[in-house]
This record gives sequence, structure tokens and C-alpha cells, in this order.
Amino acid sequence: MAKKAMSELAKEEQKLAIKLLIPTFIILLVIALYPLGQVFYTSFTNRTFAGTGTTEFVGLDNYQKLLAFSIEELPPVVDEETGKVKIDEETGEKVFQSPIQVLPRQPELHRPVYTFNFFGSKYVVGAVTPDFIRAVFNTIIFTVFSVLIETILGLGVALVVNSEFKGRGMMRAVMLVPWAVITVVSAKMWQWMFQPTRAGLFNMLLDKFGIGTGNFSFLTNPSLQMPAIIAVDVWKTTPFMALLLLAGLQLIPQELYEAAEVDGASKIRQFFTITLPLLKPSVAVALIFRTLDSLRVFDVFQVLLAQKRYSMASFNYFQLISARQMGMASAIGVIIFILIFFFALAYMKALGVDTE
Amino acid sequence: MRKYLLLVLALVLVVSFTAVGFAQDKTEITVAAGSVGKELELTQKAAQMYMEENPDVKVNVLSTPDLANDRLGLYLQFLEAKSPKVDVYQVDVIWPGDLAQHFIDLNEYGAEKVADNHFQEIVQNNTVNGRLVAIPWFTDAGLLYYRTDLLEKYDRKVPETWSELQETAKYIMEEERAAGNPDFYGYVWQGNAYEGLTCDALEWVFSNGGGTIVSPDKKITINNEKAIEAIDMAAGWVGDISPTGVTGMGEEDARKMWEAGNALFMRNWPYAYTLGNADTSQIKGKFDVAPLPAGDSGSSAATLGGWNLSVSKYSEHPEAAADFALFLASEKVQKMRAIEGSFNPTIKSLYQDEEVLEAVPFFGKLYEVFTNAVARPSTATAPKYNQASEIFFQGVHSVLTGESDATTAVQYMELDLKDLLGYETGEPRQP
Repeated sequence: MAKKAMSELAKEEQKLAIKLLIPTFIILLVIALYPLGQVFYTSFTNRTFAGTGTTEFVGLDNYQKLLAFSIEELPPVVDEETGKVKIDEETGEKVFQSPIQVLPRQPELHRPVYTFNFFGSKYVVGAVTPDFIRAVFNTIIFTVFSVLIETILGLGVALVVNSEFKGRGMMRAVMLVPWAVITVVSAKMWQWMFQPTRAGLFNMLLDKFGIGTGNFSFLTNPSLQMPAIIAVDVWKTTPFMALLLLAGLQLIPQELYEAAEVDGASKIRQFFTITLPLLKPSVAVALIFRTLDSLRVFDVFQVLLAQKRYSMASFNYFQLISARQMGMASAIGVIIFILIFFFALAYMKALGVDTE
Repeated sequence: MRKYLLLVLALVLVVSFTAVGFAQDKTEITVAAGSVGKELELTQKAAQMYMEENPDVKVNVLSTPDLANDRLGLYLQFLEAKSPKVDVYQVDVIWPGDLAQHFIDLNEYGAEKVADNHFQEIVQNNTVNGRLVAIPWFTDAGLLYYRTDLLEKYDRKVPETWSELQETAKYIMEEERAAGNPDFYGYVWQGNAYEGLTCDALEWVFSNGGGTIVSPDKKITINNEKAIEAIDMAAGWVGDISPTGVTGMGEEDARKMWEAGNALFMRNWPYAYTLGNADTSQIKGKFDVAPLPAGDSGSSAATLGGWNLSVSKYSEHPEAAADFALFLASEKVQKMRAIEGSFNPTIKSLYQDEEVLEAVPFFGKLYEVFTNAVARPSTATAPKYNQASEIFFQGVHSVLTGESDATTAVQYMELDLKDLLGYETGEPRQP
């Protein structure tokens, strides 16, 4: 009897709770779910951005264009006179046909993304939208390296500002400055430092040390672009990482260290057996924050590289703004959404961040 | 205390309402304008002139991004939202075809009377289905800037072909470096992956007899020997007579290097002339302009640029906005802009105006260059010009940075353009 009364009371409370939650739900519906649904819907159409033409439903066409790829073997070039495989005289290697002759052209033209060797044969990976495939790779490389470096450096910084020293408060405030600068502003600053002439800081310094002739082109040389952009992000978000880890460090009770000291554990031992395990939840949260953030990276890429190299988000921007393909851009948005969703799930599983 | 608080609140309310009331008395219009070099300053000045003549109108000048592609992105966001926030847009010569449906027909607002005074090619370009969607404001053509003092010092003449330019640039660059300026380069231009590269590369290709990417009769013509040769030639400059960083340079980057005295030649638009002669410039009075060098075709080519003014269909005050746009494009303002900013007028008679010619002598000398400039294929590819141009500049950029060779790049350009436009291939148009 008592139990039933309880549940009735609980029901009442539940009803009240639902009533109280309705405003939040409505707001969520309007500002999050509605636009998301709109993007999903648009991704199945060929809508033009800021156009007045008719929009048609095209099904999965946009997704197919973005994700379709093919792998083809490149046949070696056969010399017509001798009937033998042609060998490059300078390098002594076999000459293969160019990807353009091998990749499929119907129904859509495939363009080469990457060629690789496997057991003496040469293969090419083709895609309909190679820029998108490259953008995905760029974003993942950017995310892995920047988050990794930020975590290591951030931990170092957090440990330093967590220890007792004179002017610690000041140090903690100063540490946050790069993070407080608006990304576009800091990216522009770095752009000046990366100038391809001696007017740029890095070229000037490298030149002083006798490396190069003062014209390293950090932002246009394909092999320097990614390191440059990762450096900017590391500089900017290490403080954020340090801040999150510092909060974690402060939660570790001092007694544990005192006990370890009494037991004669070295500082290094203390770090690995006390600090790291107890810091794990904070590291997990920080990692999730930063990874999901860098997967959406837009501003550094847009300012520093524009159309020279894309991240997923900046490619999305140019598809929308420059090519005016709103349907295609929406499909990219959906793919980014799904990708980030899976990353988040994987993180939660791997790091054991559960509700319990 | 409470009473006072209420009183203060009431006062604040009354004051703010009257402020709104006053503001509504004036018609407020906003012009989205460029800010490359002196542009913004001159637009603000023109707005001031207009406001003095029309005290009941308030004009706001909205500064927009330097790179044309970024500017278009911003405009599209306003237009997609049908926003009345911007009334007058400064639009590139390649956009009227793509954006026509968002703009009013200026002929209905009195442009008919003045249209005949402007260059007819541009008026034609801006007329879409019989509607004049943009009034010409200033025209542009690519020019070769050269250092008179250095050519004289080393006894060289102004290059007339690309190979002469290459040879002269290399020689003087090496001499100047040996003389103590290690940062000196022969030639700077616009090599970043953006619309500006389409302009530069079109000049190399067209002057070499390689056509105009897509010909006016809707044939794809880019895949040819002459085009490959021209793109290869430019790729050879990178890291040689041009800095490796040229593949990241826009107009302003090139101009800054030029004005610091670190380049012998520069390809740029006319606006750099006045700025180069400003007091802050290291090369004031030490340079002049000439037509760009010629390639195999034997004639020089300059890409037609220039900007126009359009009035948004979503404007709340189309009449005031159209009146202001026509004022900006009027002889009076164009003359002021020509004298103070070396912006090329689109009004023919101003090229005979003595004050204009005194301030910018090359307007008279290079009149032919401006009237014979080669247009980008924006009409033949409308409304997909932006995508077509992107295919072109990305392809050229990949050759400049060494990621691809020119032969493959033009093959892909051809295939991509076929995909995009569905046109046949054809023979390149000759100058």
C-alpha cells in the first residue's frame, strides 16, 4: 500500500518534471534539432546557395559523390618496339601509366588521391571528390598530432604551475594569454611570422642560424603546411589543456604524496603511480574536448591556407560559399557530424567515461 | 530610493524611444565596399560628398574582405537571407551573370540616361536579359610595373616578351643581390590559389596563344600545347626570379614587397600606381607601367577586371540606394577616384580629362590596354563561373607548387570542365 502511494507521488513529480522541462525541449528543438533536420533534408537535394532556381530531390547522390572511391592497378608501360616493359633510364624503375588513363570516367570521373606500391605493382586510389578525401585526412592528421602534443605540453605546464613558487598566480594568468586571443587574430599573427621572406620572424631566425636562404614558404610548401598549422594550434590551445589538467591536479589529495614520501618513493615513481592514475578522468575529459574541437577545425585553416589545403570544415565552407552547392555542403556537414559522433563514442568506450 | 529608480528608468525609456524616432527620420543606406589599398578611404569620402548634397540620407560604408572569393562568400550570405542590411553592393565584373536575380534593374531608376557614357563592353557585361543589374564603377587591367631606376642603371629596356622579362629579371636580380640586397627578386605577381591567379594565368596562357580556358562560343579550349608551355614557364619562375612564397601572394602581398623596393617587376592592377608614389613607398617616382609582355602569339594580354555597383532587390530604400549608386558611378566621383587613387574610370570622356591625365599619365598612354583587355570566361560559363575558375586556378596552383605537371593538370582541367559544363572541346581563341 505504502509502495503504491510512493509511486503515485513519484508520478506526480515526474509530471511536474516534464512540465518544467518543456521550455528547454522547445528551445532545443528550435535551435538544435530543427537546423540539424534541415541540414539532413538539404543533403538529399541539389539546392543552390543564394540561388532562385528549383531544387530537386537527388537521393544519395551527394553522398555518393563524396565517398565513392576506386582502387586500380596501374599497368606498366610496354615499349611498342621491343614488347618489353619500359624502364626509366635515370632511376632504373619501371614506368607505369598515368592514373588519368586508368581511373574510371563513367558515370563520374575519378581523380587520383594517392598512389602506392604493393609487391612490385603500382596501385592508385581514385575518388570523385579527392579534395574531400584529402580534407578528411588533413583533419585527422591535424587532430592526432595537435591533441597529442598539446596534452604532453599541457601536462608539463600544469605540473609547473601546480608546484609552489613565487609569482605562481601571475604565471597562471600569463599562461592563459594565447588561449584568450581570438583564433582569427592569432592565425593572422602567425601568418606574418610565417612570411616567406626575411620579413617573417621564422625566416629571419632560420637565416640567422644559417639554415636556408630566408625564403621558406611555410604556408605554400605542401610538406610544411601541416607542421605550420599544427604549431599554431598547439601554441593556442596548450593553455586550455593545461587549465583542465591543473584542475585535475588540484583534486589529488596532498596526503598521498606525503605518505609516498615517507615510504621512500621517488618523485618519478610518485608521478607514475599517484599523479597519472588519479589524473586520468581529467585527461579523458580534456582529450574529448580537444579532439572533438579539432575535428571541427575551421578558422586556422581558413585564415592560413584558404583554398591551398582544406580541413573538413573549411572544405565545407568553400563548397557552400564558392561553389554554391548547398546540397553537397549539407552532405559534408552530415558526414562530419557522424564522424565526430563515432569519435565521441569510441573515446567514451576506450577511456571508460561512463555514467557510473 | 525606489521612486528615483523608477523615474530614472522612465527617463531612459523616453530618451531611447525619441532616439529611435529621430533615427527614423533619416533614410539609412549601407554600401558594401572593398578595402584594398585606398579603396575604403575613397568610398567613405564619396559617401561624405553624397551626404552633404543629400542631408536626409545617411550612408554607412561596410568594409568587406580583400580576396574576391571571400567577398563573394559574404555577399551570398546576405543574399541567401534576403537581408535588407546591405543596399548597395560592389560587385566584380565576373559576378553579374551569377547574381543577377538578386539585383534591381538600374535602368528603371534612371541609369538609362548615363549608361551611354560608360565603356560599352562593361555595360554589355552587366546587362542580363535586358536588365542593367550593375552600373560600371571602375575598370581594371593587369599591368607590368617596372623600376625605371634599375633598368637604367643596368642599361636594359622594358621587356616586350616573357623571355625578355625572365632574362632581364634574372640578370638584375643577381646583380642587385651581389650589390648587397639579398632579399631582392625579379618578378612578383599573384600566385595564391584564388581568383587572382585565374587572372594572372589567363594572361600567360592567352598571350601565348593558348586561348581563354573556355571560348566565348562555349568550347573548352584549355588542353593545348601553348597553354602547357605558358603554365610551365610560370612554374619555372617560382623559386627563381620570383620568391617561392609567390604561390601564397595576393595583390597586397605583391604590392608590399614591391613598395619595399624588393622587386624589379610586378604584375598588378592600376590601383598600385598612386600607392607606389605615396610618401610611405620606398620607390616613389622610381617606377612606371607598361603593357604585360607578349608570348608566342606576339601580342600582350591583360585580364579585364573592375568593379560595378548593384542595388539589392531586398533593400528597403531602393530609390535612395539606386540614386547613391549612380552618384558613386558619376563623372564627379570617378574623376576624384581616378586622381586620388588611380582607379580607372569607366566613363570614356575622363580619359581625355587634363586633370586626370596629369595625375595618372599612363591612363592616356595605355588606353588601348584597357579597351582591349581579355575577359575571363564568365559569360560562357555562367552561372558556374566560380566553379570553373576554381578548377583552373587549383590546377595551375598545383603546377606552381610542383605537386603536378602542367600536362596532367590541363588534362584534368579539361575533364573537370567537361563534367561541370557539359561543353565540347575546341580550338583556342587567338588574340
